[in-house]
Amino acid sequence: MVDFKAIRDEFPILDQEIHGHPLVYLDSAATSQKPECVIDAEANFYRTINAGVHRGAHELAARSTVAFEEARAKVAKLVGANAAEGEEEIVVTGGATAGLNLLATAFGNASLGRGEEAAKRFALKPGDEIVVSRAEHHSVLLPFQELAYRTGATFKWIDLTEDGRVRTDNLEEVITDRTKVVAVTHVGNTTGAITNVAPIIKRAHEVGAVFILDACQSVPHLKVDFHALDVDFAAWSAHKMYGPTGVGFLYGKREMLEALPPANFGGSMVELAYMDHEAQYMAPPARFEAGTQPVAQVVAAGVAAEWMMNIGMENIEAHEKTISAELLKLGDINGIRILGPRENVDRIGTVAFDVKGVHPHDVGQFIDAQGIAIRVGHHCAQPVHRHFGLYASNRASSGVYNSVADAQALVEAAKGIRPFFGAE
Amino acid sequence: MSDFGMSGDELEQMYQEVILEASKHPHGRESFAPNAAEESSGEAAANTTVRATHEYCTPGESHQFNPTCGDEATVHVEVSDDEPHTIKRLVWDGHGCSISQASLSVMVDLVDGKTVDEAMHLEQVFHQLMESRGAGLQNESLEDELGDAVVFQGVSKYPMRIKCALLGWEGLKDSVAKALAAKN
Repeated sequence: MVDFKAIRDEFPILDQEIHGHPLVYLDSAATSQKPECVIDAEANFYRTINAGVHRGAHELAARSTVAFEEARAKVAKLVGANAAEGEEEIVVTGGATAGLNLLATAFGNASLGRGEEAAKRFALKPGDEIVVSRAEHHSVLLPFQELAYRTGATFKWIDLTEDGRVRTDNLEEVITDRTKVVAVTHVGNTTGAITNVAPIIKRAHEVGAVFILDACQSVPHLKVDFHALDVDFAAWSAHKMYGPTGVGFLYGKREMLEALPPANFGGSMVELAYMDHEAQYMAPPARFEAGTQPVAQVVAAGVAAEWMMNIGMENIEAHEKTISAELLKLGDINGIRILGPRENVDRIGTVAFDVKGVHPHDVGQFIDAQGIAIRVGHHCAQPVHRHFGLYASNRASSGVYNSVADAQALVEAAKGIRPFFGAE
Repeated sequence: MSDFGMSGDELEQMYQEVILEASKHPHGRESFAPNAAEESSGEAAANTTVRATHEYCTPGESHQFNPTCGDEATVHVEVSDDEPHTIKRLVWDGHGCSISQASLSVMVDLVDGKTVDEAMHLEQVFHQLMESRGAGLQNESLEDELGDAVVFQGVSKYPMRIKCALLGWEGLKDSVAKALAAKN
C-alpha cells in the first residue's frame, strides 16, 4: 500500500496558500510539480560533478558522463527500452516538441537524399501520405504538416468519435499503401482519452509506414512499454513526469535510430569532419545529440524516472483513477459539459470541460480565486476544440500528488461559476 | 513578489456589475464576422464585411484576435467625410470573455458620435488606465471622461487580462486609421 499523502509531502511547492486557500494544483498536463529528490538532484549535480559529458579526460568529466548515461538507462527502463552501450534507444532532446521536430527534420533530410541507404525508408515524395489524428497537440500536427508541405506528401488525419476518441473503425481507408508516416498521440492532452493504439500501429506496419507515438500524456500516468507496443518512435518531455523543464526524450527502435539521418549538426555528433568532403557521423544516440547537453536536467529526469518506478506505475495509475472518477462529476453540474470520455474507462485524470455561457478566461479567474490551478485556453490543440465546436475550454489534470479532496474542491468551486456570472 | 491572482472580494471588484451586465447584453454588436472556432473561418474571413450605411462616410474595419483564448473582435467604423471627421457608426462582431465583451460595449457607448480626435484621445486615456496596475488614473477629470470605462480599473491589476480589455480599443484605433487612410 503506497502512502500517497507522504508522496504529496515530497513536493515543497504544494505547501502554500494561494489567495488565502491551500493550493490545489490541477494543471499537471501542462507541467507537473517536482519532488524534493528531483530538485536536489539538479542542484547537487552543479554542487558536485558539473562538467561536460563525452569529452575531456578529467575526473569530473568522467563522473558527469557516467551520471548522464545512468540517467538515460533509468529513463529507458521506465519505458521498456534498451540502454546497453551500443544498443541505446533513448535520445536526449530539448523536450517533446524538439524530439518531434528532430524526426520531421530528419525525415525531410532523408527525402532530400541525405543519410545512408537505410534512410530511404523515411524519404517522402509527392503522392506519399503522412497520417496524424485530429487529437494531436500542435507539436505533432505542425512539424508533420510542414513536412508534408516541404516534401509534397499528402497530409491526412484520423477523425474523432463524438466523445473525442481517435477512431479505429476506418483505419484501412485512412492509412493506405501510400502512407509512409503515422503519428498519433497515446493520450489526448485535452480529452484525457487513451488512444486504442494497437490497431493503428498494426495497420501502419501492415502498409510499411513508420509509427510515431506522442507519449507526453501517457508516460507520467501509465505503465508504458514501447517494445510491447511495437512503436517505431516515441517522444515525450521530462517536465510532465516530475522532472525538470528543458529536456525530453525520443525513443527509437535501435534499427530505426541507426537508419535515421541526423537533423541537428555540430559538436559531439561527428566522428570525422573535413573541409573538402562530407563528415562521418557517430552512431545513435550521439548522432542526434549535437552540442552541449542539459546534463543536470537529464540527471534529475533520471531521478524522476527512478522515483516513479519506486512508487510503481501501476500504483500511480490506480491512484489517479480515483481522482479522474471525482473530476468527471464536473459533468453532473448544470451547464457543464465534459469534452472527452465521460466514463472513467480508458482515460486518465485529464478532464476538459465547457461551462455554458461562461468564457474559459472567466472560469479560470473564478477558480483561481479559490486557490485552484487549472488550465484555460485551447491547450495547444485547436482542431480538437473545433471538433467540439469550441475555440477554448477549461482543463483540470491530475498528478500523483493530488487527492480525491483536490478534485472535490474543484467540483465544489465549479458549482459557483454559472451563478456568479449569471449565465443563462 | 507580486500577486497576480485575487481573493473572493477582489473577484467581485474585478467583475463589477457594469461588466457582468454589458457582457450579457452587449451594445453595438452585430453579426457579420467569421468565428475562429470554425474550421473554414480562414476562407470566411476574406468574404465578410459590413456595408457602409452612410453615403458620406468611409468605412474601416479591423479584426483583432487573441490566440491564447480565442477572443475575437471585428470592429467596423464609419467616419464622416467632412471635417472634423466624426464617428458616424461603430459596430462590432465577436465573442470572448466577459472582460473583452464588456469593454467593447462600453467603448461603443463612449465613442460613437464623437469626433475622431476625441475618440483617439479616449483610447489613449483608457490605455493609460489599463497600464496603471490597479492604481487608476489619479486624475478626476480624466476619469470623468472615461465614464463607465473606469470600472476596468480593477482589471488593470491582472496582466493576463489587460489584453482582454484592450481588444476592442485596438480594433477601434486600427479601423479608424484604415478609414482615414482610405480617404486619401
